[in-house]
Amino acid sequence: MNVQAAPLTHNDYKSDVKPIWCPGCGDYAVLSAVTRALADLGRPREQIAFISGIGCSSRIPAYTNVYGFHGVHGRALAIAAGVKVARPDLTVIAAGGDGDGLSIGGNHFMHACRRNVDMTYIVMDNEVYGMTKGQASPTTAPDWCKSKLTPEGTGISAVDPCRLALAAGANFIARGFAGNPNEVARLIVEGINHPGFSFVQVLSPCVTYRPEQREWKSIVHPADASPAQIMAEAMHRMAADDGFTTGVLFQGNRAPFQPIGKNTASFADLERKFES
Amino acid sequence: MALHSVSIALTGSGGAGAMTAGQILLDAASKAGFYGLMTRSMGPQIRGGEAAALLRISTEPVTSLDDHYDILVAFDWGNINRFSAELPLSAQSLIIADPEQGDVPEAIGVYGARIAELPMKTIAATIPGGRINMVGVGAAAALIGLPLEAVLGVLTAQLGRKGEEVLAAATAGLKAGAEAAAELPEVAKLPAHKHDGAARWNISGNEAAGLGALKGGIKFVAAYPITPGTEVLEYLAPNLPKVGGVLVQAEDELASINMVIGGSFAGLPSLTATSGPGLALMTESIGLAVASETPLVVVDVMRGGPSTGIPTKSEQSDLNIAVYGLHGDAPHLVVAPNSIADCQFATQWAVYLAESLQTPAIVLSDQAMGQARCVIPKPEDSGFVAKRLVAEDSAESYKRYALTNSGVSPMAVPGTPGCMYVADGLEHNERGTPSSQASDHQSQLDKRARKLDNFDYGAHWADVEGEGEIAVLTWGSGTGPAQEAIQRAKAKGIKAKLISVRLIAPAQPAKMAEALKGVKKLLVVEQSHSQQFHKFLRGHYDLPAQVSVLSRPGPLPIRPAQIETILASWN
Amino acid sequence: MTEVANFLAHAVALEAEAVERYDELADAMEVHNNMEVADLFRQLAKFSRLHLAEVKETAKGVDLPHLKPWEYQWHAAEGPESAPVERTHYRMTPYHCIHLALANERRGHQYYADLAYKATDAEVKKLAQQFADEEAQHVVMLEKWAATVKEPEADWDVDFDPPAVTD
Repeated sequence: MNVQAAPLTHNDYKSDVKPIWCPGCGDYAVLSAVTRALADLGRPREQIAFISGIGCSSRIPAYTNVYGFHGVHGRALAIAAGVKVARPDLTVIAAGGDGDGLSIGGNHFMHACRRNVDMTYIVMDNEVYGMTKGQASPTTAPDWCKSKLTPEGTGISAVDPCRLALAAGANFIARGFAGNPNEVARLIVEGINHPGFSFVQVLSPCVTYRPEQREWKSIVHPADASPAQIMAEAMHRMAADDGFTTGVLFQGNRAPFQPIGKNTASFADLERKFES
Repeated sequence: MALHSVSIALTGSGGAGAMTAGQILLDAASKAGFYGLMTRSMGPQIRGGEAAALLRISTEPVTSLDDHYDILVAFDWGNINRFSAELPLSAQSLIIADPEQGDVPEAIGVYGARIAELPMKTIAATIPGGRINMVGVGAAAALIGLPLEAVLGVLTAQLGRKGEEVLAAATAGLKAGAEAAAELPEVAKLPAHKHDGAARWNISGNEAAGLGALKGGIKFVAAYPITPGTEVLEYLAPNLPKVGGVLVQAEDELASINMVIGGSFAGLPSLTATSGPGLALMTESIGLAVASETPLVVVDVMRGGPSTGIPTKSEQSDLNIAVYGLHGDAPHLVVAPNSIADCQFATQWAVYLAESLQTPAIVLSDQAMGQARCVIPKPEDSGFVAKRLVAEDSAESYKRYALTNSGVSPMAVPGTPGCMYVADGLEHNERGTPSSQASDHQSQLDKRARKLDNFDYGAHWADVEGEGEIAVLTWGSGTGPAQEAIQRAKAKGIKAKLISVRLIAPAQPAKMAEALKGVKKLLVVEQSHSQQFHKFLRGHYDLPAQVSVLSRPGPLPIRPAQIETILASWN
Repeated sequence: MTEVANFLAHAVALEAEAVERYDELADAMEVHNNMEVADLFRQLAKFSRLHLAEVKETAKGVDLPHLKPWEYQWHAAEGPESAPVERTHYRMTPYHCIHLALANERRGHQYYADLAYKATDAEVKKLAQQFADEEAQHVVMLEKWAATVKEPEADWDVDFDPPAVTD
């Protein structure tokens, strides 16, 4: 008799390692959302690869019970692309912070968007570097002057990761808020189901260095329209956006990048080319 | 059998076709049963720059350039000063100069070689569609006694597709050059020689490295172009998919090394190729591969450094960064091919070692091997194939970084149920959970060192040849000239031993001690300004009391005579 | 899916999420060496676990629908008894913890009272009222508990050490 295994719950996707995140951190909600999304998708745990770089949020793979790689600062997307191109059968998720993904890893972000490998990238955006004691990141407002490194503010305009993703060619763009983990779970599910490179920005408050972000709860607002499917429309909307609109913002239909090896030659065939 | 060889340099600029001419001569020599080697020297221009094809054609396989060129065919003298130092000539050498291009420049004249005028441009102009490089090829082939049929055979094979007119023009140019050569002074000639029937290859070092990668079992490649490593990747791009692998072009070297880490983590033997500046960018992540025990191979085709340095010319100056460039205590493999043929073996072996030991391997090739073509006897298959110790489906608590006796722990491939783990560059415990505890750091450092130290690398760690109280200790491109110098010395009754180190890291002190047994005088030969190899040897090995060092930076290659002179002076 | 089944699915999720959040906060407090509050969250998780068992008992025999996380019809982003993460702090005191729990129970009561008022299905109305009454008891219990806990000094969150640097 076949025994049907009980379907996995989101807790089955959690490891027994306890997060080191500060109490109050938005990243807990992302962990909850990721595990709920995976449970909803019902993917076997061993078929998932969860890749990250360095930073508070990049600790997340260790807290899940799937295959993971906690790499070096800024390179999560490159590792993730390698995993997916090498093993298209795996579900690949990359995650990290705004500094990891948009500053040191900014070049990879742009190229991951345009390369369109079928994977999902979650940026847990708290507009600050948490693990190095609160410096400004690319998403920090130019006049934020609480960092010792930029006591008078950076004076550099902040980047909207979703606009950047759209301009670079991401195939799916969504924004969620850690205060609404159930919606974040939905965005992640949609991102994973959408072919190609899916980008999910999660506004994830840092209670230690950016306590004022507790107020995001009253600022975020759901998108009042269904996802744009045309680039021009998405650009138009994003140009007027305040950065706090949540929901799926863009759904493109570009074919994912996936080279395939074919086994059409033997080594003897290859060696014959050199005979002279 | 004594080595009979003729060396020819062909130079020209502005699209004269010197490289093509050299290629045709090498191919023809191979067809006629000879062996040969062709390196190149190029100006920085993308198109129309000055270029030299530097050939040596011989009766036996050769791995080194000769001390000087017997013939210099100069299609013109454009920017000759830039590489005249790479064109040594003797009094017996013959310069074939086109009178239309003006007098032989002082930089070439200083060698005191004989000069013969050959109006290649004028001759070519008499032929519809005629080209000067074909006239030069015809003249050179006739002068050295390379059968014209062999050259015609190559031309037909290469130009046949371009139409009869092109082929006819080339053939006419070739014949005109050969006829004109009858009027020229005699030069060193190839002996009458029959093809021995043995299978042979015409291959570049970069192609050989690519082939070695495939035969070693590489299935994933991430690529970012850089001179002179690009051709490794360009060889792999069309050929890797044919054996079931995939290649992706990355946005930079930071991406390519990390993609390779991802591909390997996902279960495929993975490789990238680069040169010094790219290797510098990759070093942080190579450290990640060490810490996370992710096998991978990086082929570094060395060029002149530091910084952008001399991209098109060779130097052995990435030894330090390859061995010492990683932060932390990061034991890894450094393997150096010592000939064009060995580019295949060494890369294939490196794949096998990296996969066996779950650590990165850096293959240190160089421009002189990588971008040179050589006619070699078909190599035997070494049989080294990637074989990774993988974890099976586990119900028990899987420990990715288990402390085993060998230091190698079974690595779970994603998709294996029950073995989910997170690979980590943070120091970790046996399960892979981040840990900053002294005991975990100590035991994981021990483990990562132990697996490299305990492995049996066999006899491949070095090529040790000959006997004697004198030895030449070298690596990589130093090996060819050293071999030839030792052969010449032997003919004069001087016995010397050659030690060419293939496994740079980890060092093999016991094997080196055995190889150096009875050696009283040692000559270290390398191509770096700061004696990187010599200092490396000092750091890891006990050397004899008397050590001399022949060390010079690129781009000038080390020539056999330089080594031979030192050996002779020691006798 | 009957309205009762839908109602009970929400009731189960409400308590399950509350349990999970309290456990998560207890873990977080442990990691940050605030053992006193960790123990309190652990106790609160235990209470919620009992409530969860009760709700499940009530739902026995009812074929509950499987809802996706985002398909639950809460009044806010999360279930009413899920402690808001942003209201926690590594140096929070028992006072904060109990008041946090009290607020959770009040929202739980509000949620059921609201449904009891609005529901058109008689069975749902009855159950909602029953659950609202139980939540009211929890509120009273926590109010009594809260009254025994002294409010901390204004400088309760002062940490004489700067934040640590890690990775």
